[in-house]
Amino acid sequence: MSTLLDVRNLVTRFHTQDGVVKAVNGASFTVAKGETIAIVGESGCGKSVTSLSILRLIAQPQGKIVSGEALLDGTDLLKLSTEEMRKIRGARISMIFQEPMSSLNPVLTIGRQMTEQLELHRHMGQQEALAEAINLLKLVGIPQAERRVKDYPHHFSGGMRQRVMIAMAISCKPQLVIADEPTTAVDVTIQSQLLELIRGITDEMGMSLILITHNLGVVARYARRVYVMYAGTVVEHGPALSVYHHPLHPYTSGLLASVPRLDEPRKGRLAPIEGQPPDMMCPPVGCPFQPRCAYALPKCLTDRPELQEMAPGHFTACWVAFSGETLWQKT
Amino acid sequence: MTDTQQPNPSEMAEVTQARPHRTLLNDAWIRLRRNRLAVAGAIIILIFALGAIFAPLITKYNFAKQDLDSIFLQPSGVHWLGTDELGRDVFARMLYGARTSLAVGIFTQLIVLLIGLPIGAFAGSKGGRVDNLLMRFVDIMYGFPDILLIILLSAVLRGTVFGNMGGGIFVIFLAIGLVAWVNVSRLVRGQILSLKQRDFVTAARAMGGKGTYITMRHLLPNSLGPIIVSITFGVPRAIFTEAALSYIGIGVKPPTPSWGAMIHDGYNVMFTAPHLVIVPAVAIALIMLAFTFLGDGLRDALDPRSRR
Amino acid sequence: MGKYVIRRLLWMVLVLFVVAFVTFCLMHLVPGGPWDRDKALPQTVVDNLNRKYGLDQPFLIQFKNYIFNAVRGDLGVSYIYQDRSVTSIIMGGFPVSATLGLVAFLIAILVGVPLGIAAAIKQNSFVDYFAVIFATIFASMPNFVLGILLMIIFSVTLHWFPTSGWGSIRQIIMPAFALAALPAAYMARISRASMLDVTRQDYIRTARAKGLTERVVLVRHILRNAMIPVITIAGPELAGLVTGSFIVESLFSVPGIGRLFVQSVSQRDYGLIMGTVLFYAFAIAIINLVVDILYGMIDPRIRYD
Repeated sequence: MSTLLDVRNLVTRFHTQDGVVKAVNGASFTVAKGETIAIVGESGCGKSVTSLSILRLIAQPQGKIVSGEALLDGTDLLKLSTEEMRKIRGARISMIFQEPMSSLNPVLTIGRQMTEQLELHRHMGQQEALAEAINLLKLVGIPQAERRVKDYPHHFSGGMRQRVMIAMAISCKPQLVIADEPTTAVDVTIQSQLLELIRGITDEMGMSLILITHNLGVVARYARRVYVMYAGTVVEHGPALSVYHHPLHPYTSGLLASVPRLDEPRKGRLAPIEGQPPDMMCPPVGCPFQPRCAYALPKCLTDRPELQEMAPGHFTACWVAFSGETLWQKT
Repeated sequence: MTDTQQPNPSEMAEVTQARPHRTLLNDAWIRLRRNRLAVAGAIIILIFALGAIFAPLITKYNFAKQDLDSIFLQPSGVHWLGTDELGRDVFARMLYGARTSLAVGIFTQLIVLLIGLPIGAFAGSKGGRVDNLLMRFVDIMYGFPDILLIILLSAVLRGTVFGNMGGGIFVIFLAIGLVAWVNVSRLVRGQILSLKQRDFVTAARAMGGKGTYITMRHLLPNSLGPIIVSITFGVPRAIFTEAALSYIGIGVKPPTPSWGAMIHDGYNVMFTAPHLVIVPAVAIALIMLAFTFLGDGLRDALDPRSRR
Repeated sequence: MGKYVIRRLLWMVLVLFVVAFVTFCLMHLVPGGPWDRDKALPQTVVDNLNRKYGLDQPFLIQFKNYIFNAVRGDLGVSYIYQDRSVTSIIMGGFPVSATLGLVAFLIAILVGVPLGIAAAIKQNSFVDYFAVIFATIFASMPNFVLGILLMIIFSVTLHWFPTSGWGSIRQIIMPAFALAALPAAYMARISRASMLDVTRQDYIRTARAKGLTERVVLVRHILRNAMIPVITIAGPELAGLVTGSFIVESLFSVPGIGRLFVQSVSQRDYGLIMGTVLFYAFAIAIINLVVDILYGMIDPRIRYD
């Protein structure tokens, strides 16, 4: 498979009143054409900022992409002019946001919010765009689409709005869809429906998908490969099943221990990861996870580990893992 | 700030929480001090307040003393801001006028608090029919054109025992206070209603806290910020109202000095002695501007969400 | 919707009734009667006048009579200008106040809103600082102080405009600006804050993520949402402006109902006081109702139930 998106050493910072927040610190990952990858981590680990950085949508003027590359089919998105970048948004890369309740414009009808993009990127006329919007709404499973296209967002439930967001995201047949925790804000009962929908449509249309989530269980089911982020960098990545069953980084295994698993007998209480994510204004030197790590070595305090391939396609950045220790590993 | 030196990297590895701990009020105070406009406003208010309090020490002139031999004098070393049509010293009248204005600002807001706070807190925490009744009453109060109601009230009050107290100034306190409390009661009620929905109040209730206790310990302190801001903005509004009433001749009684009355007196001689209206006009504008600066600063400082 | 309007109208009637009653009470509590003159009138004349105006009847009867007439549009007669009815006096002053108020409202909108929008778009630029300073200064400048300063500058010093009177465009400019400054500052402030608030919303990020041009994002997505609070405050501002400002009208000798009210209070003209208060309350209530109905057309989230 050929690479669609190649992000290298992305660094994004926010300048706030209280200091500089180093939200993303050299994150790298790739997405192949038609592939689904997942980016996993706790809140505040930089996964959302990473995805917004790719679209260059981080809040101005506080947010700033300091360095790195984001190559889409070989073109560095971070070097494009504002106008060139604008033409990529929605047309070649689109995004599904976390909050369906606030991500749709309250004073425009659903139809208008869908057609404006179709008119812009697919050069449709008003009537044609409206007909296409209705088709898309049907595709994502919204009943009575002909009628509902004239409704306003507040007429829809959270799950339905997220379906609208999905329809909008795929409407211009982008090469890449980024779904940023698309199910966090909706009822548990419809979370898997929505994920199935996103995965199904992107698969069918041959789109690549980046699924951003904090739930490793979701990942194993929908993604081919997974990147685990901590403190703005990737600490482990590899084939989803390999990471799921043989986590190499203590943070990954901590994440796994903290969610219920249906594929294994219950072993006891769910174990939360002790401690807090690091303060991103002054992240620890050495391994960022070290203050919370039960296995930390002296070296972890001073030297930052780089990603190393430990198994075919399975990388981690952990001094303990490099030393061959497997204390925390399941199986 | 000196207390946020960057620790060196080796220390940072030891102490992950390197940022200093600050309380909410502490934080607000620091933000307020950093706001130059708010500080400027506070200083202007302080200058006026000191001038008002120590007026007899600052000027040797009596605000009411007429001197028909020296009327319409231009500002000079003897009469710093000149004299008016009755030969009274304008600087002295300006200083003593500040007493009237600040007294009106402060005492009306005291009345507003005394009436508005308990009623709003009561309506908000009791809820139900009490709340409904009180809020309907407040709605009706809003139906009145408020400046007209103030004028009518002051006309009525002038005939009562308050009429001659302090040269009619008590009438002004009462008339404005009795109309303006509605804003504060509505604000307090809204605050308490929205705070009641918040988790920490639910938690306090779950732990067995009683209604009054929760209102006093959790609800009121947490709505303090908006109340302080509202009061700070209420002061200049009251000062303005007093000046306006005195300007049209139904405010404080002469010879009590009032900036509004000074404008009234100077209006007719504006072409010959413009300083007689400029002095009080600038004084009113300055004090109102100062309170607005301070109010804006307080709002930004006390409500972290409003930060830009 | 129909139900909503009816409920609002019923509520309005109740409010007006209470306003009328309270005003009536207050007026009767005001010391001194309407016939107090510098030279006291003979008692027989006072009695005759009281009988003529029904003032010899019990308080509640007087009030009842007044309300019945008011419903028919008859607000009684002025006790000072005895040959004129209150309704005709108010109707003579209202067009003046409304004209002045409308001009001031237009100035406020045309200056305040664009300034606020420009400030938000170019945040932290020169325009922004100018707008913030403009808004702060004029938001805290009492209109009669501003009026005085305008007079000093443009009448006393430059001789451009007359200080008082009504009828020509040159006479309307200064009072209109004196009236418009505060609402203009307020509008600028609200537009700026609202623009900045909307710009931070998630749906604006969505709009950008769709690849819309900045112009479309601004016009279609930001402006439409940002103007909702502006329109919300524009209604009450309009109501306040067209019903006249007693202080600016007095200052510039504009013969509107504001000045009328001041005169009626100082002359204890009960009939005129009562009529003016009721008229104000009525006008403000009606304008606010119309504005509330208009909101529904701008913000689809508003439902009338």
